[in-house]
Amino acid sequence: MSEEKGLSRRDLLSIGTLAIGGIISVALGIPAVAYIIGPARRRVQEENWIRLGPVSKVEIGTPTLFKAGVERQVGWIINEEEISVYILTDDGRNFVALSNICTHLGCRVRWISDQGQFFCPCHNAIFNKQGEVVTGPPPRPLDQYVVKVEDEQIYVLGG
Amino acid sequence: MGTQVGNWLDERVGWRKVWDAIFLRKIPKVNWLFTLGSATLFVALIQGVTGILLTIYYVPTPDHAYDSVQFITTQVPAGWLIRGLHHYGASAMVILTVLHMLRVIFYGAYKFPREVTWFTGVLLLLIVTGFGFTGYLLPWDQKAFWATTVGTRIASVAPGIGEWLLFVMRGGEELTAVTLARFYGVHVWVLPASLLMLLTIHMYLVIRIGISAVPKRED
Repeated sequence: MSEEKGLSRRDLLSIGTLAIGGIISVALGIPAVAYIIGPARRRVQEENWIRLGPVSKVEIGTPTLFKAGVERQVGWIINEEEISVYILTDDGRNFVALSNICTHLGCRVRWISDQGQFFCPCHNAIFNKQGEVVTGPPPRPLDQYVVKVEDEQIYVLGG
Repeated sequence: MGTQVGNWLDERVGWRKVWDAIFLRKIPKVNWLFTLGSATLFVALIQGVTGILLTIYYVPTPDHAYDSVQFITTQVPAGWLIRGLHHYGASAMVILTVLHMLRVIFYGAYKFPREVTWFTGVLLLLIVTGFGFTGYLLPWDQKAFWATTVGTRIASVAPGIGEWLLFVMRGGEELTAVTLARFYGVHVWVLPASLLMLLTIHMYLVIRIGISAVPKRED
């Protein structure tokens, strides 16, 4: 192979070694990355309706707290988790379901009935009755669940 | 550009000398059997990488070990591949190490001046079997449980210290959570650390002394 000037036996071998090494590294490296970031690509499996309780419990004009147990599979463990939802209605027919998770950094907000607002103890954020930010660092209003009423029971859609 | 960076580093670190000593050393005319050591080293490297990856999901307690292994195999992307490589790599380690040792025996490569290389090699073989023995328990299935029950029971027939050995290995009378945890600790810390230390000596000696040639009839 006098055509390939400069490519000595030694060069060929080192190129070959590098190439094979590269192929092996990529063949192992790509699965390794997929393996590590796998959980990040997993979305919440399926959403289903979570029963919170009877409609009669909701006070008109005041956010009422409901708690419900949710089973959630994380990895190989099935966790019993509790979600808390504030249900608000002004007419007893249309309901709004507010998550109690602060949109700032995930602390739990609570309804202060004296002041008529939600308060987050972590950074003194305040939300009004509709869940809109009054003061403090939260970037957006409290998240809302899709809500439905069936047989006088309140359900929210969650995963 | 590449050479410039290389030169800059070489001036300060002197890596070229090290590189040449490792990869450009003189070797006698040998055959393919002399690649068994490198093959073992390569598989050991794969075992290290896949082993580290497995620890990301594996949990060494009786209530999670089996489930976490199943999770790796069936749920995690490429988990089956990582676990499979580690599983079959373990067998490959034992086979390659033994073949490597046989080559050294049959070519008389353990003789002067390579005795210390041989000693470290023998210890390395023991470490590889230790890896196999401790790793076998970790999936915590029936096969693992009973294999370790039997394996530790075999150790107990050693004269004098047998019963004591059994206790130390199991961390008690029975095969329990304590056993699983200590097998895991040995598998991921004690043995890798020992392996690394001995392997460093082993490789240093191979490079320092150079590898043996195929013995001639008149030798």
